[in-house]
Amino acid sequence: MAQRTGLIAAAVVIIVIIAIAAAITLQRGGKPAATTTAPPATAATTTTAAASSPAATAGQAKPSKPTLTGNIEEDIVAIGRYLAAQGIHKATFTVWGAGDPNSVMRTLAVAEAAYRLNKILEKNGVDFRIEVKQNFRRGGGDKLAEDFAAAFQSNANPDIMANSYKHIARFAEQGYLLDITPYLEKYKSLLGDFYPSLLAAVQYKGRYYGLPQDTEARPLYWRTDVAACIKEKTGNDILAGLAEKIERGEVTWHDIYRYAKLAVESGCSKWGVLHRKGSAHPDLIQFIYAFGGRLYDPEKNMLVLDVPAVYKWLYVEWRMARDHLLPEDMMSWDWAKQIHPAVVSGQTLVWIGGTWHWTEWQTKPYYLDPKTGEKRPLTTEEVKKYFYYTLFAAGDPGDKPVTLSQPFVWMIASNAGKDNPRYSELKDVYHMLAFLLVVKADDPDLVAIHSIISAHLPVRKAAAELIADKAWVEKLAKLQVDLSPEVKNSIADIVKATVNDINVAFLANASNMLKYTHLTPMHPDYPRLADIFASAVDKVLRGEMTPEEAVNYIISKIKADPELSKTVEIVGEIPRDWSFP
Amino acid sequence: MPRPRLGPAAFFLMPALFLIAVFYIAPLMLSIYIGFTPLRDWNLHRYLGSVTTYNYERLLHLLLHDPDVGKIIRTTIVFVSLTLLVNVLGGLALALAAFLMEESISLPTRLAWMLPRMTPIAVYSLIWYYFFLGDRTGTLNSILLRLGVIDKPVDWGTNPALLPYSDWAILVLVNGLVGVSFGMVVFYSALRSIPREHIIAARVDGASTWQLVRHILVPQLRWHLVYVTIWQLLSLVTTYAHIFLLVEWGALDRWWGSTWALYVFNTAFSTGDQGLAAAASTLLVALGVVLGLAALRLLGFQRMMQEPRGEI
Repeated sequence: MAQRTGLIAAAVVIIVIIAIAAAITLQRGGKPAATTTAPPATAATTTTAAASSPAATAGQAKPSKPTLTGNIEEDIVAIGRYLAAQGIHKATFTVWGAGDPNSVMRTLAVAEAAYRLNKILEKNGVDFRIEVKQNFRRGGGDKLAEDFAAAFQSNANPDIMANSYKHIARFAEQGYLLDITPYLEKYKSLLGDFYPSLLAAVQYKGRYYGLPQDTEARPLYWRTDVAACIKEKTGNDILAGLAEKIERGEVTWHDIYRYAKLAVESGCSKWGVLHRKGSAHPDLIQFIYAFGGRLYDPEKNMLVLDVPAVYKWLYVEWRMARDHLLPEDMMSWDWAKQIHPAVVSGQTLVWIGGTWHWTEWQTKPYYLDPKTGEKRPLTTEEVKKYFYYTLFAAGDPGDKPVTLSQPFVWMIASNAGKDNPRYSELKDVYHMLAFLLVVKADDPDLVAIHSIISAHLPVRKAAAELIADKAWVEKLAKLQVDLSPEVKNSIADIVKATVNDINVAFLANASNMLKYTHLTPMHPDYPRLADIFASAVDKVLRGEMTPEEAVNYIISKIKADPELSKTVEIVGEIPRDWSFP
Repeated sequence: MPRPRLGPAAFFLMPALFLIAVFYIAPLMLSIYIGFTPLRDWNLHRYLGSVTTYNYERLLHLLLHDPDVGKIIRTTIVFVSLTLLVNVLGGLALALAAFLMEESISLPTRLAWMLPRMTPIAVYSLIWYYFFLGDRTGTLNSILLRLGVIDKPVDWGTNPALLPYSDWAILVLVNGLVGVSFGMVVFYSALRSIPREHIIAARVDGASTWQLVRHILVPQLRWHLVYVTIWQLLSLVTTYAHIFLLVEWGALDRWWGSTWALYVFNTAFSTGDQGLAAAASTLLVALGVVLGLAALRLLGFQRMMQEPRGEI
């Protein structure tokens, strides 16, 4: 008995020690510098204090703390001089970015920005330099965002991150992002060059939490060979003026249903329509906007479940799946084995995709060449030959065509510059420095280069002008542009594979779609709602639920979660007098 | 008999106790605490100070009203119980077979059954993903189409007509093949430690193989059966790695193919709702403790721990 009691006592003592240690660590541990007045690591403070002393002893008048003027050269020189006078001659910033293999500029642009700012500093004889550490990951940005949030707890987060705008709402709510509204008041001319619709993607509750990095549109791709076959067999010339008709709202989803039926019934293609799998966000959300619906009430800051529009969207999917125009298991198709091979081999009339697919089909071996029996990418010419693209058509007659963008944005962490000397004292200066890095990373030529090599759309008008400039594009193809050797080396292969007239023309045309673009809501709970939509689409496609049951399912899911039921307003009713097709 | 001294015992147990405290008890306590905070988006500094029962209220609301949470619970019950049966009885059958066969065949057989456990989780899951893929290129569809058993591909893990049974079968199959080798190794080593004389004597007395298994071998595996059952039970309650990948890739229905452990993971890491996830995981821990204790009692753990009555 005594033996057992002794062991228990030993265990209890250890647990108590651990608990006390954990409590102390949590109390102290890495509180974000932006939310605390406590000084950062003592070692850094000591080092810089020593470093700053020679300047102090030299008896030079220190410049006063700089403020931004809106002129980037003046601003960087002022900041550089100020920090140099403090004995700080180098500042280090970290940038994280993620995306497809061609989107390397999501971190390289910040490295290039540092290179350009350093050149200005050098020209002005300022003894201060900026160093950028970059980490680019292939894949989606959601994981990167989770890592950012987790790293923030121990100040291990990057200072700058390129990620989807959709994370801004939640990160701004948590205080992870720097509010750059005051800085942008000085840089109004820069703001004026961004497409206005994209500026909504960097604002939350009226404040700016980032700058646009890139964007995209989600067109309907039409197979020209399938359309030609339909014309030959039925006499219907689907593609005649189609882009313009869709733009004018004359061709709606009612017509697309008919075209899809023609394609399948005439044996010209196996499917009428294919779309992306998995999360309904953001491609399929276009249906809600195309049927005149809305997803967000900015005045109440509430998400909206627009019942009539959602019902019509689900009905279109359900009807097409029942008529075998759209696969019942579309939401679980495999990207590499099913979706892309079906699209590039002409098994569908319509593909609801994204602009980036245009170059993806040119770089990934999805196409099974019938002559060689080998898988290969399509050539640029083949992509141009087989794919016609239009806006996402209006839902009903009277509705408007749409597209949808999910811009990537530069976000600056609220503790940006945290790894630099005397952070607590100089953090506002480091914040300005991070802001200037991001401004410079959005230089028109850097935006244009990223757009061309990754088939994302430019976010600035000046960048779109560069893309339209044949002479500049030719120079880019030969890499005869003003870039640091590091960046030139990093993008040389991608430039060689992607910079050509066809792709540039595609970008220019697709950029026009931005006039019709919509953004999904800037609300922390939106991903949760989008997730429910994805389940509902899957259920109607498979025939597990009718559209009406699926709408009721969405409502029950919203009501089952007390969090969502507080933030989602359910409006409208299932339309009884509506028919499709 | 002199009483053992407490000091040396505590001294020698200290490292183990320390590790248990650091790696088991402290995280458990922290997780339980987080379940009582509104933690989200990993914002420890903002939320860890506030204590609330809101997560449990929300969880209860979801349990009562969310049409999909009920599916997860049913899947968890079926998955744990059926896979446990496969792991324990399958492991026993494999061990007995391996014990009774020639050593030259036994070794490669055991090795083959170890392969699923030795294969990296992503690779193993990918094999099953392609096996059950819903189009012609899926391995199972391809075989059945060639044999003429089916005339069009079947989406095995997601077809509403086959749910939930197809998902349950896939879950049990995939996880059973991984888990069965654990029981096999434990039982086989136990069988090898049975004195050869017992077996020879039984054979001399004319016992058939079945009688040998029934009356000589299995009775001597009793405590190993208890150990494997409890170990596997607790593992299955918290397992989710293979399931996560299959659901993520769309091979399984996201609700009928999900267990409570996966629900906890997704809530924490996909929706950033760590407070709710911690509350859900606390329920899982409580369930594990109850099931573990119940199993120990039912399987007679107390008797196993008693000192032998005779002299050794």
